Amino acid sequence: MNSKKRKRSLEPYLWLLPSILLIGIFVVFPIIIVFRLSFSEISKAGIVGGFAGLDNYKEAVSLPAFPTVMKNTFWWVLSVVGLSTLLGFIAALLLNQKFKGRKIARSILIFPWATSLVIQASVWNYIIKYEYGSLNNVLLNLGIIRQAVNWRSSYQIEFVWECAVGIFVTIPFVTFCVLSGLQSIDEALYESATVDGAGFWHKLFSITLPLVRPSLSVSTVLNIIYVFNSFPIVYTMTKGAPANKTDTMITFLYMLNFYDRKKGPANALSVIGFLILCFCAGIYMITVMRKEEETL
Amino acid sequence: MKKLTSVLLSAAMVMSMGMGTAVTASAEEDITLDVIICQYGPNTNEWFLGSGMDGTNFVDKFEAENPGIKLNLDVVSWNDVYTEVDTRLANNNAPDILNIDVFANYANEGLLLPVSDYCPEELYDDFFPSFIDQSVIDGTVWAVPDLASARALYYNVDIFEEVGIEVPTTWAELEDACQAIIDFYDGEIYPWGIDMTTDEGQAAFAYYTWGNGGGFVDENGEWAVNSEENAEAINFALSLVDNGFTNPNPATQTRYDLQDMFAAGKLAMVIAPNSLPTYVADKGGEINMATAGIPANEGKTSSSVGVMDRVMAFKDDSAPDQDARNEAIGKFLTFFYDPENYVGWVSMEGFLPAVYSAVESLVAADPSFGAWLNVLDSCQFYPTAKAEWDQVKQGVIAAEQNALTGADIQEELDALQTQLVG
Repeated sequence: MNSKKRKRSLEPYLWLLPSILLIGIFVVFPIIIVFRLSFSEISKAGIVGGFAGLDNYKEAVSLPAFPTVMKNTFWWVLSVVGLSTLLGFIAALLLNQKFKGRKIARSILIFPWATSLVIQASVWNYIIKYEYGSLNNVLLNLGIIRQAVNWRSSYQIEFVWECAVGIFVTIPFVTFCVLSGLQSIDEALYESATVDGAGFWHKLFSITLPLVRPSLSVSTVLNIIYVFNSFPIVYTMTKGAPANKTDTMITFLYMLNFYDRKKGPANALSVIGFLILCFCAGIYMITVMRKEEETL
Repeated sequence: MKKLTSVLLSAAMVMSMGMGTAVTASAEEDITLDVIICQYGPNTNEWFLGSGMDGTNFVDKFEAENPGIKLNLDVVSWNDVYTEVDTRLANNNAPDILNIDVFANYANEGLLLPVSDYCPEELYDDFFPSFIDQSVIDGTVWAVPDLASARALYYNVDIFEEVGIEVPTTWAELEDACQAIIDFYDGEIYPWGIDMTTDEGQAAFAYYTWGNGGGFVDENGEWAVNSEENAEAINFALSLVDNGFTNPNPATQTRYDLQDMFAAGKLAMVIAPNSLPTYVADKGGEINMATAGIPANEGKTSSSVGVMDRVMAFKDDSAPDQDARNEAIGKFLTFFYDPENYVGWVSMEGFLPAVYSAVESLVAADPSFGAWLNVLDSCQFYPTAKAEWDQVKQGVIAAEQNALTGADIQEELDALQTQLVG
């Protein structure tokens, strides 16, 4: 009897074991290695030497490009997560209406998300290309413009394009998270609100928003992590050029490691990024969970 | 029943023991060389591992002719090879033979074998001496060249004839030619291509500074990136961009973008390697093109930019018989540079050879090679033997890109020079 009980209490751990092993090998172990490397001397050929204290961190934050890269990363995460959440929410409201072809519209929306980011970014590269880009071609043929426009005439504009592509590919994820929340709201709530004379905005802020908040918070936390760590768009579109002015932290540390061969500072930056993410996601989760507990 | 099982089991054990010893015995006789080759093009893999070498491949043919030596050969793309080598070095699992462009970091860390340890004398004497000189640190040769390519100015003959201008040889003539092309085509065709990207911005630095008597190093081989000649040269290149003579986004448009434009007839002049005609033909372009020297400043000599890759051997203290290992590496090189194999390899990917013995048959097959071999004689190379080269390469690219967005090039280069020499 006793042994049966023990078996039963062990059972959940047994089921969890594969995931724990996977996470241990592919997540925890690399994190530990990066932490260790960030405090070690690493030669240009990649040979790990002795303990380096905080030297790698000091070198990383004193790199001339560091302030620009941090600023870019901030705007990148804020604009992509912020705008894609807003636009994705609006798209979800539209797709929750009953109309002909709703299923088709929903499946079209998932395309950008289902396509690899490298392909997306390359396609956008072709669209906005000055010499033979399709955007210029279409506008010229429609007679909207007389001369081809250089859509990426300065690095500021290139960075805006990168953010725009980031927003475009992130919208579907938000939309589907919100849509799943919307579908679980009881129609009767809206009906009784209408009977009581509530308008569109009133219903939006008093019924819809509070009830989809759990889905919104999940999508936002995941998006902060995904977008912060996003590599393909920036790397495919500009590789951070000119002179790291369009780099975000992730592409910058990649170039630092594999092009500049400054492996120590690159590992230190990785750790800094990891801590920033833990901090942001932590604060967000705590505030959101508190609010949810209050409302329950 | 139990007895029978145990008899069978012990029989199986005895048999497997016998097989085990047989395997180790043969392993003791064989030497296995881990080789990493960079992927130069779609044919590389076929030639080394598929059936691109007259129906067979390099590995099979080598192993058939050199019993006792096995090759564990990987063809790795240029994008991944640095990561792959770094990872293997960090895990104490260096390849025996590596084909790559850089070598100074590995040599300075004491990871490489000197070439004299493994390269047979006859083969050593076959290399172009000017190429061997590029792999010397402190008087020791650490790598041998596997192939080379040289850069020259390619121009679209039809455009030049239509506009009615001559090929420019000086910077002043270049500006005039650009203006003439802009005027004639109303800006529809870019006269001049510039690539200051992270891919190859260091090449742009070389094209202009070498054409102005400057360069990465001074006459004593010390870093001199911030010379007045250099700043003047880069400012000249930037003035071409500002005047609208070039492709609009030099910081993100790579040489391949430029070559695409050239193949499409949208670019009149581009500095490119000798493989450009093959590249254009592969893209389906039909461009009437010719080559010329890279324009230089008035009174300065033009020099071509040579790019060379290398083959090197790593130390392996765990090898039981060092002499046998060195001999095996030597056999690998002798086989690779044997004209019977090497000529096919170099011409297949459109490169220039690194050994005398290949020249004759290459020129016989394609007379245009002769002109390129003369270019090779006069070309300069990047100072890749100096330990700070990685930093200089990234540094001049960053300086160019900052200057493109308005920074002062002299200040940028001064800062880089200070980082280098303190």
